Amino acid sequence: MDLNIKPAETYRGDYTFRNSGDAILRFPFPFPDDNYMYSVNIEPHVRGGETVAFQATFDLDEHYVGDMADRAITLADDPLRCQVLPHMAEAEWDTLELLMESLAHDYPQHFSLTKTGDEWHWVNRPLNIDQHFTFGKAETLPYGPFEYITRQVQGDFSLQDQRENMLYMDGGMVTSQADWSLNFDVGMSFTEWHGPVPLAHEMGVFDRALQYLLRLQLGKPVRRLNWTLTANPRLDTSPENYPAWGPEKASITAENVGERLCLRVELQTLTRLPRSNAILFGIRGYLIRLEELARVRKWAVRMHRVIRNLNPQIAEYKGMTRYRQFIIDYLAPFDDGRVLNQGIAAEQSSL
Amino acid sequence: MKSRPVYAPFKLDLSGRAHLIVTNQAEPPEGIEDSLGEIEIWTVRPGSLGVPAPAAAHIRAFRATAELLPQLSHRLMRETTGLRFYTIGSEAFIWDAYNIAVQAGLGTGEISLHRAGPLVRRVYCTHCRTLTEDVAQNILPCPACGATLFVRDHFSRRLAAFMGVKVDAEVPGEIPAPEVFVS
Amino acid sequence: MMLLLTNIETLTPALKKFTFTAPDAAPLPHAGAGVHVVVEIPGPSRKWKNAYSLVSSPESTASYQIIVRRVEKSRGGSAWLHDHAKQGDLLEVGMPQNLFAPPRRAPRHLLLSAGIGLTPFLSYMHVPGLAFELHHCCKVEDAGAFRALLPQAGNITLHTSRATLDLHALLSRQKLDTHISICGPEAFMDFVLATAAQLGWPAAKIHKESFGGATGGKPFVAHLRRSNLTLNVGEEESLLDAMEAAGLNPPCLCRGGACGECKVALLEGVADHHDHFLSPAERAANNAIMICVSRAQTPELVLDF
Repeated sequence: MDLNIKPAETYRGDYTFRNSGDAILRFPFPFPDDNYMYSVNIEPHVRGGETVAFQATFDLDEHYVGDMADRAITLADDPLRCQVLPHMAEAEWDTLELLMESLAHDYPQHFSLTKTGDEWHWVNRPLNIDQHFTFGKAETLPYGPFEYITRQVQGDFSLQDQRENMLYMDGGMVTSQADWSLNFDVGMSFTEWHGPVPLAHEMGVFDRALQYLLRLQLGKPVRRLNWTLTANPRLDTSPENYPAWGPEKASITAENVGERLCLRVELQTLTRLPRSNAILFGIRGYLIRLEELARVRKWAVRMHRVIRNLNPQIAEYKGMTRYRQFIIDYLAPFDDGRVLNQGIAAEQSSL
Repeated sequence: MKSRPVYAPFKLDLSGRAHLIVTNQAEPPEGIEDSLGEIEIWTVRPGSLGVPAPAAAHIRAFRATAELLPQLSHRLMRETTGLRFYTIGSEAFIWDAYNIAVQAGLGTGEISLHRAGPLVRRVYCTHCRTLTEDVAQNILPCPACGATLFVRDHFSRRLAAFMGVKVDAEVPGEIPAPEVFVS
Repeated sequence: MMLLLTNIETLTPALKKFTFTAPDAAPLPHAGAGVHVVVEIPGPSRKWKNAYSLVSSPESTASYQIIVRRVEKSRGGSAWLHDHAKQGDLLEVGMPQNLFAPPRRAPRHLLLSAGIGLTPFLSYMHVPGLAFELHHCCKVEDAGAFRALLPQAGNITLHTSRATLDLHALLSRQKLDTHISICGPEAFMDFVLATAAQLGWPAAKIHKESFGGATGGKPFVAHLRRSNLTLNVGEEESLLDAMEAAGLNPPCLCRGGACGECKVALLEGVADHHDHFLSPAERAANNAIMICVSRAQTPELVLDF
């Protein structure tokens, strides 16, 4: 698969981040219907489907170098954004193996992996990495295996240990999260870390999702889409740095909402790991400015309806109270009342 | 609130072979017959003026929680399976005791936690990581970095603390009226 | 995965070890200690699907090994493997699934097994640094074969009579950070569970692999309402077997009544529960059944399938 990697843009300060036309068309739009409500919207993670973002096992795109540079800045400021509890050592190696093999398979012009027994040779051309190491020996890598490889893959990751009919978030690389703290949540159970989400518990969504995930099988990964909104294309919207990015939310106006307000979508994948029997939870984040999204007519119309009709508790939990009306007003001119097809596909091949 | 368990009233679990009750209250819970040989009780008695309490058959009185908690892991290291561990007291204390018990190998079905005493919380400032004890209401200034924190209803067992996040990050000075904790 | 049977080794008259590789010698998927695979066994009139623990090392991707006990009163799968399988056969083997990994946070492991129940623990022996004590009960005529499968070093005791296994003393002296893993016939597991409960062991520290055992029983009729089918479930097949023989594909995973994947809503009739998944309250409510191991108390059942 082709990547067309751009030189690094910025996700803080001057926010030079932009999506090319191709990136806009391959964006994983999250709304299949005109109304949105929480559900166990898990499906098998098979290649292809309604968006190009579903093609690779772990999707990379033109923002690869920029995303990884931003992660490096966040980690330099706060190393606790990557933590793995001691009993998850095997899961770290499972993760390294899975991500290296997937990238080398899906993007062979950019990554290669050669193995001689336990002596592995990994090449990452976009990031200029050429690494020989011994699989299973952490001292042969510059970082722990989980940190090492997740510094080279877009998206956040968490490691879930399965025990006592429950999942525990016992590790993670979390630098592009939508407002949750790894340092606070590490070690929590599935039910605990989802604690703050309104409505979904009462609906039984988490109970059903948990039962499903406890029986996740090797070789049968699953995926779902989650979404929120972000002021400016900022990846590090952590609670730790909320005092820095919080004021940006208040600076959204009717005039700048198209340029500054971003839809933020998480392509979440869940994969059973072979040796540790843990689950790797990938949270691959995508950002798109409202004015970029509006170039796809179906998406402009649909998003207008979803945000307008959204349950107020969900709107509040997703932090959009300040600018919800600006979004509705910006998108309303696109909505001529047409009937839209169900599904997330763009239904146009050019902008 | 889903991240914090519901605390049940104290009750001995008779499926256990032996029982250890650890509390930061001055007195053990009511209704324990300490003629039942397999129950051991640890308490914290204020006002000791540093004088160690005399040894008694099944009750040990410590001079402060700082003396009690480090002894706990030492005590549990000599134990065999079948012990039931109970911890009673303020929320931060019982989870500190819980974490020591888990380190020693105790788990589900062996530990029970019971809240007693004032409804105060330990708060973790998400920004500067400082922990503040005995917080009684949901808005407070962080004593270290000065941010005015809102205490979210999200609890970490590992830290034995609630999550505090700057309440006026978006518009400085926009601070809601504080509410006293009722749970 | 279609795998090639490359070796059959007779360990005792009732125990055989089977080795599988990929037909093109490609590496097989990695599997952790404690995994099982489901082998599709082609009988003369029907296929069986039996779950077997991998006894090979988790790091060996060149081949998978299982040990099969020839069960006289089985549904036939193990007998076919013993009597008819031969080197060079191709068999459909499922991806490894792990429902019985050594508990990761437990520093110490007490492993208790009987008979063929030793098999999952054989893969545990390859986990580097695992602190364990293994006690295995078996018939005196099988002891030599089991000893040969176990490593020389390690805290391992074979018991050829119940008298030498003082379970009460063994369980009483375990430190707080020990977890027990048990595998064997129902009666053995029940005996261990009862002794542990008496000594105050919490359920969360006891892990068991169930192999289903002999799940035959009285024949019964199953009406599958949504499929519009009526099946006669014979005395040597499970409800799941009968549904698969009829061409259906109900979800299932462990085939031993433990994982919950095969749960089907029960609309009429009274179930005879043999599983390890439903709670006592759920069993009493009689509105669900684990089709891989459970049967019927009434002559007929109506299922929502």
